Amino acid sequence: MSDDLKTSLQTDAGQKGPTAPTWIFVLTLLGLFGAGFYFDRHSGWFDSQVYAPYQSSDELEAYQPKSGAAALFAEGKKQYGMICAACHGDDGLGKPGQAPPLAGSEWVNAASFKRVEEIPQLGLTGSVHVSGQDWNLSMAPMGVALSDSDLAAVLTYIRGSWGNKASPVSDTDIKAMRAAVAGHAPIGGESGLNAIKE
Amino acid sequence: MKTGFRVFLGAFIALGLSWCGFVLGPVLQLGTQGQTNVLNSSEIYPNQRPGNATLGLQVYRAYGCAACHTTQVGQDGVLCDVVLTSAGANPTAVNNLISSLKLTGLSKDEADAVSGRISAAGGKTETHIIPVGADISRHWGLRHSVAEDFLWDNPVQLGTIRVGPDLANEGLRHDESWELAHLYNPRSNVQNSIMPSYKSLFITGNTPSEDAKNLVAYLLSLRADVSLHDAPFTTAAAPAAAPQNAASQK
Amino acid sequence: MNVIEKKYSAIDASCRVPLLVLFGVAAIWLIIGLALEIIASLVFHNPDWLANCPFLTYGRVLPAANDAILYGFVMPAALGVMLWIFARLSESELLLPLVPIVAGNIWAVGVLVGVVAILIGDSTGFTWLEFPRGGSVLIFAAFLLIAVSAMATFGARRERELQPSHWFLLASLFWFPWIYSTANLFLVAWPVRGVAQAVIDWWFSNNLLFVWLGLVGLGVAFYLLPKIAGRPLQSRYFALFAFWTFMLFAPWCGIPQGAPVPSWLPSASTVASFLTLIPLIGFAIVFGNTIRGVNVQCKGGPYCYAKFAMVVFFLSALMYIATGCPHCSGVVGMTWYMPAQTYLQIFGFVSIAICGAAYESLPGIMDFELPFRGFVRAQHWLFMFGLLLLVVPLAVCGISEGLKMQNPNIPFSEISHGTLNYLRVSSLGLFLLLLGALLFAINIFAMTAIWQTKLAKAFAATLLPYPETGEVKS
Repeated sequence: MSDDLKTSLQTDAGQKGPTAPTWIFVLTLLGLFGAGFYFDRHSGWFDSQVYAPYQSSDELEAYQPKSGAAALFAEGKKQYGMICAACHGDDGLGKPGQAPPLAGSEWVNAASFKRVEEIPQLGLTGSVHVSGQDWNLSMAPMGVALSDSDLAAVLTYIRGSWGNKASPVSDTDIKAMRAAVAGHAPIGGESGLNAIKE
Repeated sequence: MKTGFRVFLGAFIALGLSWCGFVLGPVLQLGTQGQTNVLNSSEIYPNQRPGNATLGLQVYRAYGCAACHTTQVGQDGVLCDVVLTSAGANPTAVNNLISSLKLTGLSKDEADAVSGRISAAGGKTETHIIPVGADISRHWGLRHSVAEDFLWDNPVQLGTIRVGPDLANEGLRHDESWELAHLYNPRSNVQNSIMPSYKSLFITGNTPSEDAKNLVAYLLSLRADVSLHDAPFTTAAAPAAAPQNAASQK
Repeated sequence: MNVIEKKYSAIDASCRVPLLVLFGVAAIWLIIGLALEIIASLVFHNPDWLANCPFLTYGRVLPAANDAILYGFVMPAALGVMLWIFARLSESELLLPLVPIVAGNIWAVGVLVGVVAILIGDSTGFTWLEFPRGGSVLIFAAFLLIAVSAMATFGARRERELQPSHWFLLASLFWFPWIYSTANLFLVAWPVRGVAQAVIDWWFSNNLLFVWLGLVGLGVAFYLLPKIAGRPLQSRYFALFAFWTFMLFAPWCGIPQGAPVPSWLPSASTVASFLTLIPLIGFAIVFGNTIRGVNVQCKGGPYCYAKFAMVVFFLSALMYIATGCPHCSGVVGMTWYMPAQTYLQIFGFVSIAICGAAYESLPGIMDFELPFRGFVRAQHWLFMFGLLLLVVPLAVCGISEGLKMQNPNIPFSEISHGTLNYLRVSSLGLFLLLLGALLFAINIFAMTAIWQTKLAKAFAATLLPYPETGEVKS
């Protein structure tokens, strides 16, 4: 056999030489584990918006500057997610038998917020037409425990999302509304809503 | 191994995986990107560079400016400042509270806690987002560079080494006459500059050629000073751009 | 001459013309490339020298120099060495020898077209891919032609079991066409939009400079070391493990930290850089065990070259891997540290390995000794000191520059002025490398001339009606 091959090969007389020792496989596995850990914490999980120094999309969202209407909107989105989305959906489309849609609803989009602002405060039972469909369900006063500014934020968010383009609601409006309707019963269906002065 | 095929298969898998990750992935994610909105505004970003600036990018490429200059700003972190917008019904209490609190250079959680305390005392606050980093402190940018900043460029000239200063926001720093003078003789407006002169870009004396004018138009179009979703900052509170045509290049 | 020696003599002889062409092309471009590097570095001695000639402006000369060295010297010489290694390991003569001869000439033209294009302003603008369409197509075609000859020779092997060098060199034959065609198609032919271009350029540069040069250099070194040391690679399985993990992890390095791309990209590179330590450890152990206790006097010859190359490989790889760490990269990322590492990889690792293989192969191929034997050792020393003077000042400069950049109170003009002395010392390093390159070229061309003279004499002898003396014609 040639010199070249003799020195290259280790198959002569079973001289395969020592196998790669276990420790390097263990090291590789540990390395892969550490790598996965690092990637999990720092990569933003392939989100196209997350750039260094931000490490996750949550962190990026937290550092979005909010002022005035934008801050209200962001807070409203958070509150909506916690309280309203379970029935009305994150997309505002509602669910048959559960809650009517808010997206495109003529009640939400009305120029005046005077009717829609009383719904989360007092609750609503009885039949209502929403976007040409009849809804006959019962909603508890889900917003009664929210602060003035939080309820204003939720209503601002609802009135400005999913294609809705209605005006925001301020906390002073909510304060005035709460003073005016203190002790009232839940609104009775469409007739009850129409009875509210715009 | 007895066959070359196994080597090729292994190489194919190894290179194929990295091709998927670093070629296919970015082409699908970044190569299909479009314009985006400026934060808290309906303004679209970025606008296409004006025509002569696009020609100027080709001059930049042809002269190899990227061999010495980068056009990418980095950011090391982000901090918050809490700013009082209204003292509310009880100004003395709020002012007393504020004088005992740290209001600048806070993390987001700290800023939320501080603004919560001030709200509870009746005041109203705004949290300002401030990018921090070596490049930003040096007035080379207001925020880190993002993919949108290079959307219209072909070829993208990010640069790899800073023999000369970063140019990502050159349009905020100087004007046409400064740039032309710098190209003609860099040492005329930057003391100790190590940049070679580009007198070949000028015709008889210091009349700029078309190439020089286009290059300057490109340099002046370089600005990344709007707040975006992926590079947020509070515009009003951003660090001021370096004074125009500062005597010594910072 | 016994049978085996005669067989090897025939194998070596079959490589003669292809390797002379490829080494000749490589030697010329090494000299031109280093000369261009020196011209580029003149700007740091006086920015106004040659400043008004657009063909010699720094931004054009530097990429031209880098590409001339990588595509003009490293690649043809590496492919030449590869052909020789394949022929010897196959125990077969080089098959299709005309193909590399033609390809070598096409290669030279391609590099010329590319370098001239850069100097007149037609560079594509992408680092390590500056050759526009003409040059890149010629180089690609030439590479494929040489690969055909290499694969044919590989296929003719009698011993079917693959040798460690085979793994690396076969992988490299596969690697380059894919990365080069992808990069040219996605960046030059049908450019992708926006910053995706930069990502593909980084992927290409990493796969060319770190992975491809690594595969080639290791393949050559792992052929030379066992051959000269007279013992097999210790151990083969370790080398195989390191080979697979290198191919798996190394292609994912290369995205700079802090780049204007979503953070999953630099994070992936950080992770990959860290994991690449594992094959590096593997290669170090294989290298250490293979040369330990070996009693070969190298006297500045090919064995020294191979050992030098391997040591530099580890240094250069560690320098590179360090930039995968965001903290290090934040300091040295856009400083002279990066070119220092690239020069170390190209000049210190791959060039040395290839020159060592050239010196090992040439006496056998030409069937006579090197005309200037002392030049081998001289080139070794020149390259060693040249690298020291080139790389160390640039690396130190980069670190010092990077640290100063963290302090916004230091004006940039002061920092850039502070780099000048380091850069001036590095010019001296380039000069020493150029001297070493000249010595290499002198040997190659002297051997070519001697061989051609011999051929001419033999030919003339056949024309004479009578033998000149009583000698038996051979």
